Amino acid sequence: MNSPNVQLGLPTPERLKQFRIWDSYFTPSYSHPGPDGSSRLIADIERSLPAIRKGEFQKLCYFPHVGVGTTSDADFEKLARTNPDVTLKALKRWPDMLLGMIQLNGNDVRASLDALNRWLRDGPMLGVYFPGGGPAALPCSHRNFHKLVERIAELNGVIMQHTWFTTGGKLSPGASTPSELAELASQFPEQKFVCAHAGGEWERGIRAVQNSPNILVETSGFDSTAGFIEMAVRELGAGRIVFGSHLPSRSLGTELAKVLGAEISDDDKRLILGANYRKLLQPILSKGE
Amino acid sequence: MMNRRDVLGLAIAAGAASAVRPATARSEGNEAPRFRIVDSNVSLFRWPFHRLPLDDPDLLVKKLRSLGIAQAWAGSFEGLLHRDLAGVNRRLAEACRRHPELIPIGSINLELPGWEQDLTSCITEHSMPGVRLHPNYHGYTLDDPRFVSLLKSATKAGRFVQIASAMEDVRTQHNLVRVPDVDLAPLPEIVAGLSEARVQILNHRLRSPLLDQLAKTPGVYFDTARVDSTDGVPKLVDAVPPGRVLFGTHAPFLVPEAALIRVHESGVLDDSRLNAVLAGNADRFSGKLKA
Repeated sequence: MNSPNVQLGLPTPERLKQFRIWDSYFTPSYSHPGPDGSSRLIADIERSLPAIRKGEFQKLCYFPHVGVGTTSDADFEKLARTNPDVTLKALKRWPDMLLGMIQLNGNDVRASLDALNRWLRDGPMLGVYFPGGGPAALPCSHRNFHKLVERIAELNGVIMQHTWFTTGGKLSPGASTPSELAELASQFPEQKFVCAHAGGEWERGIRAVQNSPNILVETSGFDSTAGFIEMAVRELGAGRIVFGSHLPSRSLGTELAKVLGAEISDDDKRLILGANYRKLLQPILSKGE
Repeated sequence: MMNRRDVLGLAIAAGAASAVRPATARSEGNEAPRFRIVDSNVSLFRWPFHRLPLDDPDLLVKKLRSLGIAQAWAGSFEGLLHRDLAGVNRRLAEACRRHPELIPIGSINLELPGWEQDLTSCITEHSMPGVRLHPNYHGYTLDDPRFVSLLKSATKAGRFVQIASAMEDVRTQHNLVRVPDVDLAPLPEIVAGLSEARVQILNHRLRSPLLDQLAKTPGVYFDTARVDSTDGVPKLVDAVPPGRVLFGTHAPFLVPEAALIRVHESGVLDDSRLNAVLAGNADRFSGKLKA
């Protein structure tokens, strides 16, 4: 094991702490937490801990499955529906580190509305995640989203929507593009949306959401392609960008370097790495007071 | 368990203490006295599809220096699509002469008439220690007899060959220039037939069983530029024989800090193995080039 003070490519730990990093896109065991509802999830969080510590992250938001059909495992879905403790296990183990946003199923509006009441209205979850693949994926321009967004807005929840612009067309029919998110967002101007991965092909993704002031872009999920953050700051403003790590399937290097290595001001880095996300969460966090 | 009020309270309290000092990551990332770093995978000049913040060689070198990178093996983005490769390699050699850290790695396109002359020029005129191939952008496969011929000639001249297995995620490529990753399946058999050959695969995302086959083939080496996941580099190091993983960033297309952080972020590699990945393996592979 290398000594913990190896900082190649990183600022000093003291300076990293000053960025006050909140990670909006932590993906431990993203597609399935394990047949018992938590073992794979917890193993993946533990696997990420060295990078989390090295990056001096303060908080990370992950996306638990809550039994609304976001996996294809019927036994797990039943377990998650009937035993909420399974869903809470990781949050209880790392209460100061983890935040949660539940994965919703646009194909099952009734179950998703029930889950919103159970997990957002009653806490402790702070928002929702709409996946781009798997059995719950549905293009976010579908009318099913309207009832869900209305209820999420009532609960002051945050919406993270997986998006990709894939060369040659969508990889799956349920995937969403930034253009489809812009279409949805235009109908709910008071609700904030996060365009996960900035569409992957970010030159198109940034343009697609540029005129949607209620959409922020999230930074993870693709190679550390240079120029992304600079273009996003130039075209959207640093206030519309939130950092995501995609750990552990991506890396601290790939994701944090996009922001740290960008030719932008430290004030802008501070916004992107944490301040914008805290502002986004403030309405639902304030509700608990 | 923390409730929403606790989370907000922490955020507000921490906010009062936050004042980020104006400094840059790159200026603080320099641990050169402890780690010598050789980057086996950079490119110079303009990426064909958009501007890059570091596509000026002067800026790239400044950044590499700030990160403590002592030497970088530089190909040319012009080598992807240009057909006057003699001119491409001449410009590359000239640019590298202005920067002692940069070692020129010429481009060869086996689809072009007279590629043999380009190889000769790289070796004799420009004293390049190796050449870089882009089979997917140039339109041939590795079972092409011309590839075997080039590998024999380069090996006979004591030169290594780099194969860029990809330059960009296929999902984000320009719609009119969609280039699949290089099929590396023929490589083990070809390299196994040339005992002194040295081939480095750049920008790969290899998995078993092909990774296992390549790992079993002496003479095949790997870079780190697109090896992702928080513990991806240590897993690659464990999956192949010692000495076969060379640090590479794929800068300036990728942010160079990314690969540098990735080699150590999991804490798995001890200092000895870190030193091997960061420079030792590259020195042995190249015969210790002088920067």
